Amino acid sequence: MKTKAGKWSMALILTGVLLAGCGNSGNNGSGSGSASGESSAAPSAGASAAASASPAAGEKVKIVFSQGADQTDGTKKLVAAFEAQHPDIDVEVREFPNDSSQMHDQLLTILSGQSSEVDVLNLDVTWPAEFAQAGFLLPLDRYIEQDGIDTNEYLKGGIQAGYYNGQQWAFPRYNNAGLLYYRTDLVKKVPTTWDELLKQAEELKGQGGTKYGFVTQGKQYEGLAVGFTELVNAYGGQIIDDQGNVVVNSPEALKGLKKLIEIQTSKAVPSNLNTFTEKETLTAFIEGDAVFARHWPALYAQANDPKVSKIVGKVGIAPLPAGDARSAAALGGWLGAISKYSKHPKEAWEFLKFLISEEGEKIVAINNTQTPTYLKLFDDPEVQKASPLFANHDFVNGLGSAVPRTITPQYAKISGLIQVEVSKAIAGQQTAEQALAQLETQIKAAVSQ
Amino acid sequence: MPLKKKNQWKEGRAAYAMILPAVLIIAAVALWPLLRSFWISLFDLRLNDPTRNAIHYSYSVNVEQYADRLPGLLRTVKREAGNARDGASPGLSVAQKKLEAVSGELEEDPAFRERLAQVNGLLDAFSPVPQELRFIPVDNAKAERLKAELQGIRKELIGLKADGSLERPDEVIGLTSALLDTFQAPNFVGLSHYKDLMSGRRLWESLGNTLFFTVFAVALEMLLGLLIALLLNRTFRGRGLVRAAVLIPWATPTAVSAMIWHYLYDGQNGIVAKLLYEAGLISDMGSLLSSGSMVMGSVIMADVWKTAPFVALLLLAGLQNIPASLYEAAWVDGGSRWKQFVHVTVPLLKPAFFVALMFRTLDAFRVFDLIYVLTGGGPANSTESVSIYAYKTMFSELDFGKGSALSVIVFVCVLLISMVYVKWLGADVVGRRAG
Repeated sequence: MKTKAGKWSMALILTGVLLAGCGNSGNNGSGSGSASGESSAAPSAGASAAASASPAAGEKVKIVFSQGADQTDGTKKLVAAFEAQHPDIDVEVREFPNDSSQMHDQLLTILSGQSSEVDVLNLDVTWPAEFAQAGFLLPLDRYIEQDGIDTNEYLKGGIQAGYYNGQQWAFPRYNNAGLLYYRTDLVKKVPTTWDELLKQAEELKGQGGTKYGFVTQGKQYEGLAVGFTELVNAYGGQIIDDQGNVVVNSPEALKGLKKLIEIQTSKAVPSNLNTFTEKETLTAFIEGDAVFARHWPALYAQANDPKVSKIVGKVGIAPLPAGDARSAAALGGWLGAISKYSKHPKEAWEFLKFLISEEGEKIVAINNTQTPTYLKLFDDPEVQKASPLFANHDFVNGLGSAVPRTITPQYAKISGLIQVEVSKAIAGQQTAEQALAQLETQIKAAVSQ
Repeated sequence: MPLKKKNQWKEGRAAYAMILPAVLIIAAVALWPLLRSFWISLFDLRLNDPTRNAIHYSYSVNVEQYADRLPGLLRTVKREAGNARDGASPGLSVAQKKLEAVSGELEEDPAFRERLAQVNGLLDAFSPVPQELRFIPVDNAKAERLKAELQGIRKELIGLKADGSLERPDEVIGLTSALLDTFQAPNFVGLSHYKDLMSGRRLWESLGNTLFFTVFAVALEMLLGLLIALLLNRTFRGRGLVRAAVLIPWATPTAVSAMIWHYLYDGQNGIVAKLLYEAGLISDMGSLLSSGSMVMGSVIMADVWKTAPFVALLLLAGLQNIPASLYEAAWVDGGSRWKQFVHVTVPLLKPAFFVALMFRTLDAFRVFDLIYVLTGGGPANSTESVSIYAYKTMFSELDFGKGSALSVIVFVCVLLISMVYVKWLGADVVGRRAG
């Protein structure tokens, strides 16, 4: 009898465990991934709950800060400076893939599983609306008010990117806009229009040991959506207008898309441009393979680092070329936010406050050549020395007029649609007109949901 | 005798009792997730939409968000009313009254009031609000009425924005939308996800890509696997070493081997790209991962490299099961090597071959990690498999309802494939074993 009962209870336990496991996988969609994440988070969660309930003197709180992999040592210095000021808080940096789309998906997986494994998040400029609407972020208004932080001292575009539905969800850490990089030893007159760029790129290709005239991002991923936004706006078009109407199927947008296709299929670019992300663009440019490159301000530091770059001292920067309407650079950059599921929101806020403080942004500006959002820093001589951009008033003012990608919780979906349709148009599988017509119906459907 | 019979019956029952856990486990492992996926696919479930991020059969209010949003909204509306240019703005004070009425009606419920106070206390103390405190059910009719009321207020505010009588219009309008989002509506949609998917072209394209990949990758793997198995079945010096070496690709994690191939195929520095280019097989080093027609071939190559050893292993086991005496008999009868292969090896290897074929087909149909790392589904969506599509829908867009529908579609396809195999090929395997 005894053994039988034992067997039964054993069987019941087994089934229970299995059922519980499956229940989890059903809820979260990814069985093993989330389950292991939860189980590894569980003990620390318990321990930390106890810690926050009775913060014993001298006990350290660990918070996790997630961001893309940093090739410079800026993040290390940043964390060290913070920990020196807050001996009771330990900051662990969790590195994510640098491909923004992949990082987005991984973060969403963590947050939709309501995991507390990350506390402070680095968010791409297009994510706050989505994350905020999903309820993944802690609204910051209370804390901003308590600590008397003045949002007017920050770059307006960045503050707006973190503002959604009447609340501030994220604070800009560094903002940037697309830039044209060129080789000062090859380029005599910096091109100001896309047509001019294309012409020069074709002519100069091959000179000075280069293989390509122009490199940019062409892979079917977020970078392609950025390129599309820039070209469409340069020719006077828009994807969604200020009133929220889908206006992507316009003659102006068509001109922009046609120019994008012309650029991405021209002889001046590598034949495999449709596998290029920021990483490949950077490699090609600092290896001395390309005359022109479209990239973000962060490339500058590496292009002038003799350890990795073959073109030190030959790097020029200019605004992106203009189309018929204007020069339109997409607003990029990253914001700091706090996870709703953080077990230490108070310490997380302390760290976030440091990230956006004058001191924190300065460390990043100097070490990573990321453009600060704290406006006073542009007058700081050390910051001005870090990159010629930061002392350049045109660039700083230009940041204010950079084109924000649509601020909508549906951004990930819209961007995904743009990536597919534009990639198909570049590959010649459909015409530019067909691509825009497809986008119009699909984006309309996405927005109306 | 009766005692023995009783014992036998008892043992029989005990045997069933032993099977029962197994049945339950199978049900739990195999059926439960499937049924759950199907159930989820009937809902408009989107994790990044607060009103749809869980299955709701009836209305409820997210108290935490309510506590975060309502006071701010009332404060800003009041401030706007105070700031109004022409002294008093009737529209705003009406909106303010209506808002107070809505919140009053919600808060007249003592349970709601109590929960709100509790949540506010937690928020003020920087403490996370536990899941079980977050939602409170609200009567459906009441919720619909209040939502309609809020939508009315929002429209009025947008009207006021157009008049220019608001100082910071986006703030009040945004907060009103946010307050609307605290209501969670029932989100059952039935089979409409399936309808949408079937009428769109993306599903059919990705199914086409998957099918193309499956057919060609599996065919090549079976062929190559058979050749490797025949080679390894012969006795030669260093056979153990070769056997181990052949298994290395299979032992490499798919994501890692995909990274390796990504480097090998790279248009700037890839060795394979360079070799193929030098050999004149490709016109341009970059085309392996960038030209729509080549890229699927590249993916297939990488998959063949990885899984042919697995097929070889299965076939080798089959070959080793063929008794040597059969070959001896054939040899005595004067059969040539080719005849031995056709009349002894082929028929006796059939069961193992079909098992390998079925495994590989089902596996190839669900291909995900290789493509995800190697191409991400691009360029021009030409390598997007159904699993990649499902992944993007689920994890990039967090559209779990539609993503689950896609998973169910993948399952149905896999089921159909298995049925075909079991019917046409599996019968052969079973028949042979029974005989």
